[in-house]
Amino acid sequence: MTITAALSENRNTLVIQVDDKFDFGKVQSFREAYDKLPDTVKVIEVDLSQTEYMDSSALGMLLNMQKSLSDRKIEYKITHCRAQVSRILKISRFDKKFVIA
Amino acid sequence: MRILIVDDESLNRFLLIHMLEEEGYLDCFEARNGDEALALAEQIKPDLILLDVIMPGLSGFDVAPKLKAMNANLYLPIIFITSLDDKESLVKCLEVGGDDFVSKPFDRVILSAKIRAHSRIRQLSSQIEKQNQSLLYHSRLVEREHAIVEHIFNNAIVNQPEVLAFFDTIISPAAVFNGDVFLCEASPAGGAYFLVGDFTGHGLASAIGVLPVSRAFQAMVKKGLAVSEMAVTINETLLSLLPSDMFFAACIVEVDISGTRFTIWNGGMPQVMLKSVRGCRLRYFPSRHMALGILTDSEFDADCDVIEAEPGDQLLFYTDGLMEVMNESGEMADEHGVIDWFTQDDVSTALGMYNCAKQFRGGAEQADDMTIVVFNCQSLESLKHRFSINDLPYTISLSLKGAELRNPRIIDSLMEMLNSQPGVALVRSDLYTIFSEIFNNALEHGVLHLDSSTKNTPEGFIRYYEERERRLNALEDGQIRFDLQFLPTESALLVSVKDSGSGFALNSPEIRDLSNSFGRGIPILRELCDKVEYTERGTRVTVRISMVR
Repeated sequence: MTITAALSENRNTLVIQVDDKFDFGKVQSFREAYDKLPDTVKVIEVDLSQTEYMDSSALGMLLNMQKSLSDRKIEYKITHCRAQVSRILKISRFDKKFVIA
Repeated sequence: MRILIVDDESLNRFLLIHMLEEEGYLDCFEARNGDEALALAEQIKPDLILLDVIMPGLSGFDVAPKLKAMNANLYLPIIFITSLDDKESLVKCLEVGGDDFVSKPFDRVILSAKIRAHSRIRQLSSQIEKQNQSLLYHSRLVEREHAIVEHIFNNAIVNQPEVLAFFDTIISPAAVFNGDVFLCEASPAGGAYFLVGDFTGHGLASAIGVLPVSRAFQAMVKKGLAVSEMAVTINETLLSLLPSDMFFAACIVEVDISGTRFTIWNGGMPQVMLKSVRGCRLRYFPSRHMALGILTDSEFDADCDVIEAEPGDQLLFYTDGLMEVMNESGEMADEHGVIDWFTQDDVSTALGMYNCAKQFRGGAEQADDMTIVVFNCQSLESLKHRFSINDLPYTISLSLKGAELRNPRIIDSLMEMLNSQPGVALVRSDLYTIFSEIFNNALEHGVLHLDSSTKNTPEGFIRYYEERERRLNALEDGQIRFDLQFLPTESALLVSVKDSGSGFALNSPEIRDLSNSFGRGIPILRELCDKVEYTERGTRVTVRISMVR
């Protein structure tokens, strides 16, 4: 497993789960995760429960996702972060663009 | 066949011996009275005794019980030779310990038939005696072996009291040896690890697997490995060790320092339950995997669940022995029974749950090992101080040239080198981020001359990383050098990275427009490090990282 994407049953939430390392090596697979997004999707949840390490390229990927989908009305969530990951998101003020739960 | 003849009359003795010789019994001894008989019996250990009843001194009736007492374990046939023929006397012969009687004058055919019959019984008795001895020997051997194994188990499974104090546990084996296991250890990264498991069956055979598991667990905790890695390793170990009909259901858990965030790998254990401190709301986390020791590496799924709780919440782990408790009419408590027990009080205890199970069971016997672990969500801050930071200085230098920079595991290798150092695990995540930022900056800008501003459009972002890959694959020159120096007196790590590039303008490395997909690395560095310094026209960055958190 590197990155997995799963659509909820009612097809309105896409959950993207990242493995232990969220760094530049995931650029391709992260983009593929939200490629060909069904119109029904209103929420994208990035589940970082498994993620222990991340760097600024991960932040770039997250922002890039928002930019790519900017013509759509989608709520973005980042969930289940470890304390260290949370801290990096906070330093970068990601709470302004993502719901961090 | 050794026969002792006891008679006060020499004629009788003579007749008997003569007759026995004719029948082939050549190993015969004579005694003239009771006392002589007792002394001789002690000495020669006869297989059969022919005993006269009426003798001066000790009578046959007196001597018989004494002879019998001499060798209580082995059947020693005593045949009375008597001239008495009243029923009472004959009955008495048998009552005092005699096994048979023949009347005088004796009939040779009858007597020798009786001797043969009794010698058969003696042979059987001697066989039984031998078997008893060997049984006794083996049972003592097993006892001794159990004592040794018990000793080893007691030493192998030692949970540190300071860590154990955070858990409320009941561990109730069905036999001397427990096929259930509960292990807990403080994590070098702060927080703790624990494992609740159950080997197939119970008793010594299932307990034996606990040894390699506990050793592997302890070793992996020391390294601060991820729960998924632990699951993979224990699975691999058990797959090669256990017979195919034996396996190990287990929950492997890491709880962070706040005591509220759990990473769980659950293979084949009953569902884990979380009871909210606010009302008796339950959340269920059923096992998603097969038990350990079944699947090969390629089939194995190390995916973990994450449970986020609040302080005061209760997390319940138990082995199937609890829900498979049966009452006297053979009904199982089952999952819903355990749920009832767990929810009947706002705050549950392992003992409370155990007593519920015991009450449910009534008079029935405990059939399987039973383990109940309740974790009351609370801060594990106090466990952090169990780990010391290295008090010796060390340096690590890593100089990478050209094609070596293509290696995708550079940061991982650096982390592996550092991980063996005490105290590093506490800041591992931060170190990874810091190294990754510094290295990628040096590589992408210093060595590969990539321009970050192209990352600002979605297409540009992807193109940037494609270009990175392309240039990296073509790379022949260029160099990046890491110098890590640990300063024990300051408990700090000094990291200096020099690249072979031409440097960059040292202006405003501050966070710019929030929507930029680049330029976030430096603010992160500034936040995670005590000091960030760019020198030599921006080709060298030096950061200082405090190892104390």
